[in-house]
Amino acid sequence: MIRTTCSTKEDFAVQVTPPISKTITCHKMKRFDSILEDVDLIHHQLDPTRCRSLNAVATGTKAAAEKQTDTSISISMPPTPSAKGVGFNDIFSQTSTPRGTTTLNKRIWSYSQTSMPRVSVFPESPKLPSTQLRNPRNNTNKLKDTRFDSFKTWSGRLERQLSVLRGKEQEPISPPSPSIETIPVNRYFDALEGPELDSLKASEEIILPEDRKWPFLLRFPISSFGICLGVSSQAIMWKKLATSASTKFLHISLKANLGLWCISAALMVIISFIYALKIIFYFEAVRREYYHPVRVNFFFAPWISLLFLALGVPTSIAQNLHTSLWYILMTPIFCLEVKLYGQWMSGGQRRLSKVANPSNHLSIVGNFVGALLGASMGLTEGPIFFFAVGLAHYIVMFVTLYQRLPTNDTLPKELHPVFFLFVAAPSVASIAWATIQGSFDQGSRIAYFIALFLYFSLAVRINFFRGFKFSLAWWAYTFPMTGAAIATIRYSLVVTNLVTKCLAIILCGLSTLTVTTLLVTTIIHAFFLGDLFPNDISIAINKRPKITQKWYLGNSDSKNIDQYLKYVDSFQAKDTESSLTYQNSSS
Amino acid sequence: MSMTPNTEFENQNTILDIDIMIDDSPPSSSEKREDVHSLLALIGLRFMVSSMLTRIHAGYFRISLSLCWETLLWKTLLDPTNSETKFLHRIPQMVYRPVLIFLWSFALFILVLLSLLYLLRCIFRFNLVKGEFLHHVGVNYLFAPWISWLILLESFPFIAPKHIGYKALWWVFALPVVILDIKIYGQWFTKGKRFLTAVANPTSHLSVIGNLVGARAAAKMGWQEVSVCLFSLGMVHYLVLFVTLYQRLSGSDRLPAMLRPVFFLFSAAPSMASLAWASITGSFDTASKMLFFLSLFLFTSLICRPTLFKKSMRKFNVAWWAYSYPVTLLALASTRYAKEVKGEVPHTIMLTLSSLSVLVIIALLLFTALYSKILLRDDDPCLKLPKHSRLCIQNFK
Repeated sequence: MIRTTCSTKEDFAVQVTPPISKTITCHKMKRFDSILEDVDLIHHQLDPTRCRSLNAVATGTKAAAEKQTDTSISISMPPTPSAKGVGFNDIFSQTSTPRGTTTLNKRIWSYSQTSMPRVSVFPESPKLPSTQLRNPRNNTNKLKDTRFDSFKTWSGRLERQLSVLRGKEQEPISPPSPSIETIPVNRYFDALEGPELDSLKASEEIILPEDRKWPFLLRFPISSFGICLGVSSQAIMWKKLATSASTKFLHISLKANLGLWCISAALMVIISFIYALKIIFYFEAVRREYYHPVRVNFFFAPWISLLFLALGVPTSIAQNLHTSLWYILMTPIFCLEVKLYGQWMSGGQRRLSKVANPSNHLSIVGNFVGALLGASMGLTEGPIFFFAVGLAHYIVMFVTLYQRLPTNDTLPKELHPVFFLFVAAPSVASIAWATIQGSFDQGSRIAYFIALFLYFSLAVRINFFRGFKFSLAWWAYTFPMTGAAIATIRYSLVVTNLVTKCLAIILCGLSTLTVTTLLVTTIIHAFFLGDLFPNDISIAINKRPKITQKWYLGNSDSKNIDQYLKYVDSFQAKDTESSLTYQNSSS
Repeated sequence: MSMTPNTEFENQNTILDIDIMIDDSPPSSSEKREDVHSLLALIGLRFMVSSMLTRIHAGYFRISLSLCWETLLWKTLLDPTNSETKFLHRIPQMVYRPVLIFLWSFALFILVLLSLLYLLRCIFRFNLVKGEFLHHVGVNYLFAPWISWLILLESFPFIAPKHIGYKALWWVFALPVVILDIKIYGQWFTKGKRFLTAVANPTSHLSVIGNLVGARAAAKMGWQEVSVCLFSLGMVHYLVLFVTLYQRLSGSDRLPAMLRPVFFLFSAAPSMASLAWASITGSFDTASKMLFFLSLFLFTSLICRPTLFKKSMRKFNVAWWAYSYPVTLLALASTRYAKEVKGEVPHTIMLTLSSLSVLVIIALLLFTALYSKILLRDDDPCLKLPKHSRLCIQNFK
């Protein structure tokens, strides 16, 4: 609503305020500062080169943030009923606006009145030009700050607490923001498309600005843990290559394993630290990722990476790991699974037939990897527990994905690297079963051959894996190839002949090649193209679809504004059918 | 005399039932008064029985299922050869044998009462029974009486499985299960309107449990082939049902909110499967362990979702008994597991589940005693016939 009316308001906003207030950025702040350094501002302690510090003085509430972003450009007067206010309104009415929009502005002005109590900032009788010069500066601060406020922990209150602790001057506290509602899962399906549900549909729009780079933490998705998955599985593969009897002829040293393990451990620490910062400062963004039907599976990725690290630990560092480590690592996986599988079972909006997508394999593979680690540590009951749970849910999910139900929107019509996750579960299950049973028996062989079949059927279709935008989540899709390679090495230990050895070497080579290619691509994107972390659109979708805004624009009566607000309320009561009939009956 | 019927069928049947006898002979005044009293008593009794026959449905066999399985649990726990429950054997033999007999007799009494009532219902209200058979939830509870009788047979303190009477009774109870299987499972993959994705709901697990109970009883008698046959029948349909129910193609709208307690049947089926497989192979091997763990996981996952059951906990209804027997079944499986895998953790699991099962059944008995008046009431969801079955009944008539 606000965005579409912004264009009309900015027409006369241009007449009132300088146009640079619209597209001001962090970097431009310095210029602006130099222009206005003689103006008495309370924001002089700001560091204009860092956007994040601006957050420390954010005062906007969530409700007002969306309205304030554009209203603040043109309406920057204290809400006291003074001559200034009247004069401002006169300016509005003078700038030849149609009658409808004037009433709209009045309405929005009254909104900003109620939501902008920080009037004591301005002196009582400022000259109109200097007020307007000053206010755009403040407004652009708010422009930067308040739009991201809705994503911060407790809507920015944590920032203020921390800034108080740091000793910075405190802004007057605005009224508390309304409670954040959870976005229903069908909104994600309606607004997003693509195999990873990360591209915005043309008819939708997002609540954060598209044209500028968001704060780094907001752009850091949970799928970055895929890098840890990819590299740590490589460490395991090189360890197996060096220690297995069937590949001893290659004379691979254990230094490769050591180096890769140290790199993956370092990566794990760095990525966990950054994501922990995101949880602390942008908890709302983390919640939105959790409710995303594809991204929720990546919440298993940190724990699976830790399990891989424990599996691939070089013998020079640790020989035998303590069993309590297994219990510690499996507890978060257990809790996450009880939540996720329970959602599938109890029906409702997140039932499996609706949300099934290949990334669900990540939630299932965790069980098998845990079973493998536990069995290699010598435990018996715990690994069988997780193997049983993983197997039962894998069967359900495998059938569902193979069916490609018409009710399922998330499966991509074309091939995408995410399909390689199909290979992950059977290959890890075969190794896990072999470790539980003590030998590579018939059950393991069945699982292994299924994995091999899926791998080949995807590999021969390699031509169809083209034309996709690179994303960090692709690292997560390399570990199935590595898993298949490790399973082949294990198989070649049991069935030792030329064919199996060649197969092992070929698969290991393919996996190393893929990882190297991915590494090069990542470096190119990081340093040369600079878009390794693009704006994370999928967490910024609007809770209401755009259709309400179009309907609203058609009737700009104040009576219809009330009706619109009622309509929005009824819509937010998540009864889409009734609201649609309401719309039909009222239009 | 006018009655207040609730459904059209009841209306017709009450009219049939009330026969007012008009005696022509002029009796004396005291005899007349006695006759009037006895007539009123007779009419009152007929009315009560008739209303009970209308309202009772196969779902009431949940009570007998719970009691029979509880008896079996106590029989297993108090078994002298069970080393895991040594602490319970501090109670002398003189005490727990009568306790066991008392429990078994109580279960038998309830089961006989329910069976008689249901038999009368089949005779006098056959169209209602037919309606139940066509209902997607009610049809699964037609397995419940046979399961109860099989379990009661197994938990009989005096008879051994190899006895001829046991074998004869097994045939009597297992044959209807097989007939129902052929009818219902055949419908799943052949019939146009009543295919699996439309009718699948958590109570469908009862058909699977029926097969598995029959398989276990057969294995205990030593009939290996029959038991494997019934086991494979049950398991293959369990696989199909498990996948279908997890997919939830039509959402959760197939089941009214009052019947949410039947979700615990998700954990009942794998525990029964693990017990059956343990009886077939003779030991609690990896496959049984895996099924037991799956059942434990599903149970944990349901316990962690209390909001799912909030709506059904508002008013007491007979569906609450569906909480009891899955817990008992899981406790039974954990007893078997603890016997095989000795250690602290299995022992703790067994004790926790057994005490939970006892608590639940005592609570349910109390609730039933307190709210027995509202037990047989009209707006039971199992009695509500959906539109398509109502049409079928009309066609049938």
